[in-house]
Amino acid sequence: MQMRAGLTTSVVLHAAALGFGLFTLSAPAPLDAGAMESFPVDIVPVAEFAESVKGDKKAPVAETPAPVPATRPETVPDAQNVGDNDVDLSTPPTPEPAKREVEAAAAPPPSPEPAPKPAEEAPAEAKPEPVPAPDPAPVAATEVAPEPAPPQEVKPEPTPEAAVAEAAPAETLPLPTSAPSPQARPQPPQAQTAKAPERKEPEKPKQQEVAQKPKSEEKTFDADEVAALLNKAAAKGGGAKRSTETAALGGKQTTGAKLTSSEMGALSSQLAGCWSIPAGAEGVESMRVSVRFRLDPSGKLDGEPVVDSSSGNSAFDRSAIRAVQKCNTEGLQVPASKAEVWASGVVVNFDPSEMF
Amino acid sequence: METLPLAATSHDLSIWGLFWQAGWVVKLVMLGLLAASVWTWAIVVDKVIAFSRMRRALNRFEQTFWSGQSLEELYRNLSDKNPVGMGAIFVAAMREWKKSFEKGARSPIGLQNRIDKAMDLALTREMERLESRLTFLATIGSAAPFIGLFGTVVGIMTSFQAIAGSSSTNLAVVAPGIAEALLATAIGLLAAIPAVIAYNKLSTDVSKISSRMEGFSDEFSAILSRQIDEKVVQRAAA
Repeated sequence: MQMRAGLTTSVVLHAAALGFGLFTLSAPAPLDAGAMESFPVDIVPVAEFAESVKGDKKAPVAETPAPVPATRPETVPDAQNVGDNDVDLSTPPTPEPAKREVEAAAAPPPSPEPAPKPAEEAPAEAKPEPVPAPDPAPVAATEVAPEPAPPQEVKPEPTPEAAVAEAAPAETLPLPTSAPSPQARPQPPQAQTAKAPERKEPEKPKQQEVAQKPKSEEKTFDADEVAALLNKAAAKGGGAKRSTETAALGGKQTTGAKLTSSEMGALSSQLAGCWSIPAGAEGVESMRVSVRFRLDPSGKLDGEPVVDSSSGNSAFDRSAIRAVQKCNTEGLQVPASKAEVWASGVVVNFDPSEMF
Repeated sequence: METLPLAATSHDLSIWGLFWQAGWVVKLVMLGLLAASVWTWAIVVDKVIAFSRMRRALNRFEQTFWSGQSLEELYRNLSDKNPVGMGAIFVAAMREWKKSFEKGARSPIGLQNRIDKAMDLALTREMERLESRLTFLATIGSAAPFIGLFGTVVGIMTSFQAIAGSSSTNLAVVAPGIAEALLATAIGLLAAIPAVIAYNKLSTDVSKISSRMEGFSDEFSAILSRQIDEKVVQRAAA
């Protein structure tokens, strides 16, 4: 009776509220998420910045750094002639001249000129010569003597006045410094001063020294000689190490290449197969030994494995080293791409609780 | 359950759309909660009206009772009608009094007891009428959130099943199912919150009215006890 009033009121209220809600509480405006753009984010360990992998400093960035590829002259497949030529020529290759000959060829030109002069002046200056000779001898000997001495001795012989030339050296022969004496002669200023009064004798040595010094220096800076000393061998592409990948940004030296845990695990599982733990030793389970060894790119041992940190039990250490050597004879399967790491040395922990 | 339209290209995200897309368990829960809400409000409206009418009746009766009118006259006026509240207690007590005196009661103590019993009975009957259906409010207030939560859990369960089926974890796939499941909790709370508030308010009102009526019944009992004593003394004198 009374309840009917309440019920109708309630139903009417609910209908009104629901109707109001249906028309006003329609779907909320969708969030404006269209402007958002997702982009990949790499989480990079600091070690990648602190350590570098060998590459090229000017090359663009790539996933793996690599140095500039080394070019190597290709051999012509159907070449006719054997030799050092890069191009197959119809004429046989001429062997490259030895470097020594070039040096010898450069030396002669200056020598013929001074040689005749002393020959002519020798008789006239027979007396003044001995005077300057002893003075400059010690100076000249130290400075100039070693270099031109052999060729000059050879050259005077073919000259017609060899007899006279020999006579002069003959006088100086008793002195051990026979070689420098012909050297002192070639100075043109000396010839002029020789005619001048003998009072200037004390000055002479100074002039000689001044004159000689520039000469000797000129000789050392001789461009021909420098050119002759240069290694004229044609450079071949690359060094002992070759890169075949395209150049990518990297450092001069590899310092950061490391083994991934899966590579390390593959290596240690191979070693575990070769390892026979000395049975019966007390506390074997808690022993562990680190062995350091180097590998060449083919996976062969490079040098002897060394105990890095001992377990304290020499038999246990030796068993670990034997494991490395045994695996070496069977051949370790290691990725060649990490050759630098293998070459720089790997430390493997031999731990019975982890390896088995 | 498999036909849950999770993979539908476009979702109607209005309340109505969410309701229609929900699974039948969730729909049932929502409809039940809606019905509970309707019934709660019906009770609240009914009780508010009934309590205000009762308060007015109590005021009117107290006014007439203490106006100095003779009890016999008051009884004659009220007994014809269907009295409520204090009126009902008064009529019950007077009826017992009249029955006992017309037949000539022997013991005044027995009469007093009978009158008190009759008044207690009337009071309890009135209180029962006032308190009826209030327990439903209490039940809805405590149980509706759980019922809504049940609908939500079932809805999320089915929507996760659908996600597992479509093998896509995109939020656009997950969100509509969760939204429609949460609608069940929302409706449950919508029913529970008014129910709790109304129950607290109405139960305080009931206790106030009942203390007022108990006070009157004690007072009237004292008046009647005095009358009985006077009648006994008169009868003894006569």
